[in-house]
Amino acid sequence: MKGIRGNEQPAGWLFVAPAVLILGLFMLLPILMALWVSLTRWNGQGSPFTGDVPFAGLDNYTRLFTDEGLTRQDFMTSIRNNAYYVFFVVPIQTVLALGLALIVNNRLLKGKGFFRTAFYFPSVTSSVAISVVFLFMFANGGAINAILSVFGIQGPQWFSDPRGLLHLLFEKLGVSPFLTDSGVFGLSWWDWLSGPSVAMCAIISLVVWTTSGTFMVMFLAALQNVPVQLEEAGMIDGANRWQRLRHIILPQLRPTLFLVITLGLIGTWQVFDQIYVMSQGNPAKTTLTPAFLSYRTAFRDFDYGSGAAISFVLFLIIVVLTLIQRRVTRERD
Amino acid sequence: MIRTLTSRFLGYAILIFFALVFLYPFVIQIANSFKSEADAADNPLSPIPSPIETDSLVRIFEGTGFPTWLGNSVLVSVVVTLGRVAFASMAGYALSRLRFRGRTFLFGGLLAMMAVPPVVLLIPKFLVLNQLGMYNSYAGLIVPLLVDATGVFVMKQFFDSVPVSVEEAARIDGAGSFRMFWSVVLPMARPALITLTILMFTGSWNEFPHTLVSVQDPGLFTLPRGLADLVSGSLGAGTQYPLKLGAALLATIPVAVIFVIFQRYFVRDAAAGADKG
Amino acid sequence: MRRKLYGAALAAVLVATSACGSGFDDNGSATTQQSAGPADLKIMIASSGDAETKAVQDAAAAWATSSGSKATVTPAQDIVQQLGQALAGSTPPDVFYVDAARFADYASVGALEPYGESFAGVDAFLPNLRQSFTYDGKLYCIPKDTSTLALQINTDLWAKAGLTDADIPTTWEQLRSSAEKLKAKGITPLAIGDTRDRVGAFLVQAGGYWVSADGKQATGDTPQNVEALTYVQGLLKDGLAKYPKAMDAGWAGEAFGKGKAAMAIEGNWIKGALKADFPNIKYTVKELPAGPKGKGTLSFTQCWGVAAKSQFKQQAVAFVQAMTSADQQLSFSKAFGVMPSRQDAQATYQKDNPDDAAFVAGAQYAQGPVNAPKMDSVLADLDSGLQGLQNGSPATVLQRFDKNAKTALGG
Repeated sequence: MKGIRGNEQPAGWLFVAPAVLILGLFMLLPILMALWVSLTRWNGQGSPFTGDVPFAGLDNYTRLFTDEGLTRQDFMTSIRNNAYYVFFVVPIQTVLALGLALIVNNRLLKGKGFFRTAFYFPSVTSSVAISVVFLFMFANGGAINAILSVFGIQGPQWFSDPRGLLHLLFEKLGVSPFLTDSGVFGLSWWDWLSGPSVAMCAIISLVVWTTSGTFMVMFLAALQNVPVQLEEAGMIDGANRWQRLRHIILPQLRPTLFLVITLGLIGTWQVFDQIYVMSQGNPAKTTLTPAFLSYRTAFRDFDYGSGAAISFVLFLIIVVLTLIQRRVTRERD
Repeated sequence: MIRTLTSRFLGYAILIFFALVFLYPFVIQIANSFKSEADAADNPLSPIPSPIETDSLVRIFEGTGFPTWLGNSVLVSVVVTLGRVAFASMAGYALSRLRFRGRTFLFGGLLAMMAVPPVVLLIPKFLVLNQLGMYNSYAGLIVPLLVDATGVFVMKQFFDSVPVSVEEAARIDGAGSFRMFWSVVLPMARPALITLTILMFTGSWNEFPHTLVSVQDPGLFTLPRGLADLVSGSLGAGTQYPLKLGAALLATIPVAVIFVIFQRYFVRDAAAGADKG
Repeated sequence: MRRKLYGAALAAVLVATSACGSGFDDNGSATTQQSAGPADLKIMIASSGDAETKAVQDAAAAWATSSGSKATVTPAQDIVQQLGQALAGSTPPDVFYVDAARFADYASVGALEPYGESFAGVDAFLPNLRQSFTYDGKLYCIPKDTSTLALQINTDLWAKAGLTDADIPTTWEQLRSSAEKLKAKGITPLAIGDTRDRVGAFLVQAGGYWVSADGKQATGDTPQNVEALTYVQGLLKDGLAKYPKAMDAGWAGEAFGKGKAAMAIEGNWIKGALKADFPNIKYTVKELPAGPKGKGTLSFTQCWGVAAKSQFKQQAVAFVQAMTSADQQLSFSKAFGVMPSRQDAQATYQKDNPDDAAFVAGAQYAQGPVNAPKMDSVLADLDSGLQGLQNGSPATVLQRFDKNAKTALGG
């Protein structure tokens, strides 16, 4: 074999050289550099790679978790915000994508191509451009509030309303704030229990709207692989629609479902563009996310060490989720 | 029979409702780009501007950096797409077909790279661009994007799925690795290359975070960066929604056109995501 | 084959050539100074609006023509962020606005060239403004101008609600009662920015402030400050005052200019912005109503910072000379309403701008900005507390500020 194929060693390396060079220079090297910076107190003046830069050890990391102060408070606030964001976005987009896929896949309906295109289109547009559109729609006198007023509801001032959904719910139920004196990681339990703010809800709806289409197409592809005989067998057995979905279709879709959920989890922890364009973490830090906080800490507050440390904590969260996703995918194969 | 009729009706009703939800925002965007500011504020929902005003569109070209951003976007997207397609197919081919020491290691590295979320690279990329003196230049804007780990992976998967027989035949003819790649492998890979080109183009056209940490000079802004600047606006710039919506609309058009023409490739890619993970 | 090789080498070449660029500048001595001859100056400004941008651009163009240099003025969208990246990238603009509140941060990390001491005619500038830009006993940069907060009243809306000059508020009680009359007529009474730089004026009127007079101690949680914030909260809760975002406006001046609010609390810059964007609005400017402890307002100032890493320091200072001449300051005043920072321009300014009596009067009792390094994130956190003031508790906002400020100030 070797005789025919000749020596592929130089060719192989030459072929991968550009990819290795660029990925090495702009992914691997920067990560190592940032790891170093996260261990220093570099203030953004001169090079961080000289002996003059004060070494901080793990201080930048401990400040995020154990030291009382604004840094930890901001970081934990961002974790809380992002957790609520994930908690709402992932289930809603998964259910919506699955529901739409099931309906579009219905053999009795025509115009499948059109609907698939319509649902998928938002996900290929620029996140910045779409954020502009949603800013307009969620303006106080915007389209969303105009629709709500048709139903006699006075819409909130979306992007200036920092009240949490759960806090609003408690208020409705007449429950006064509780557990405000104790808490963990610098936030009181009451603060942890805020729910996503009204402003965050606008961003949640934008993201659900843009990503559902992609996941719907994934479900559609998987649905096409469900053997028709299986479904027909179910019909003959007299199973109703819900039973067929529950016992025949969903088990077949299980791998895709796992994939969509984990991809959703990975993606939602990275939310940045929308925050940057729409809210910059406002109002009252209720749309602050770790990704945006790390950017802001570094480039606004000149605290590059702390910003890089936040990046790495976020990195860790996402890597763990990615490993879970890969494991699940591998088990399937 | 009645049951299937009602369920069919219900199905259409749901589909049409959601089609409206997914498409009406674009209608609003288009309509409001042609409204006066007062009209946009008073009738945000209306799909018909009255009167039709093109003031905002004129101001986009005359009063903002839009023409510069557009030029930069075209330049960056074209160069990045070419680079990504060329380098991804070369590397994908090598990883799939060529035997060389370190191949397994490189593939492992590639998988690891794919797991790196772009947003955690913001500060790191800024550091490396600074260190290399590429910050605030076209090189800084373009070079780091020239290779996309996912693109390499997609091409490797593609070559893995193609039988080697054709190449073997050519190989017996005595063709070298390079000539074979150019004249045998690439033509065969056309469908995959088209898909990759489209995805890489839309990806680089929409790229935002990288521009945030690689350039500073408004003369180097691409459309997403310029748009983000326009939206956050400095004090006193005012809301100017028709202007912003119009600029966003113009930035969306190229991708929309490509999507409509090549939509089966988009769908195929998303579906492949479901198959391969 | 050659083609492929070329392709493979392309990236390497691109990277290699660009790697020959400047990169980090480790010791500072590497910046080659070009002291004489034409310069290519980059100027970054934090503009209050198109009026200011245009005025500065015109002035820079005039200077460029007369000196034979190039001068490019860029209005920053977020000057703190953009300057931060530029400084870390060793590519700062040669000249940039430095806000008094942010000055200590830049000076303490050595980003600013301390050109102030040797600046020709430095004594002409108001001493308290010079003090704002002094760090470790050295004057770093020359104050650009100054401005104070005052109350703007839309006279048309005022008349429409049946109010007269007698209703122009001079006390908190009157502000409230006039606001209630406006609201009864369906007019939003007051637009006020949701930051410490606006709300803080009420603290001064109540006899308090965020920090002590020497700026070394946090004094947030005091009865005076609680009283002030409770008063503002009351206005917000009853719909007598609104933050700009609640009126779909970017800042209070926009809401005021669009006639969405009958009053606004803004500084001198509102004049230029209204003239440029809303030329038809009729309004008058009054001093801010007095609180329990009398009159109070806030003053702001910025200086022309010159980057320590600029290649054209000498030309940059010459540029600042031109921008701060008495004539130029007066023409900036005309364009966007700020007050001159030079003593020798004050008299002319007051004569030319009788309508600005309220701003000028405010300068007598105005409180300057919080001016200490490392305070920016603390103040940003305070702002976020103020954004939630309507449903929050004034004491909590103030206590939180105290806690954070103490850490930052090291007290």
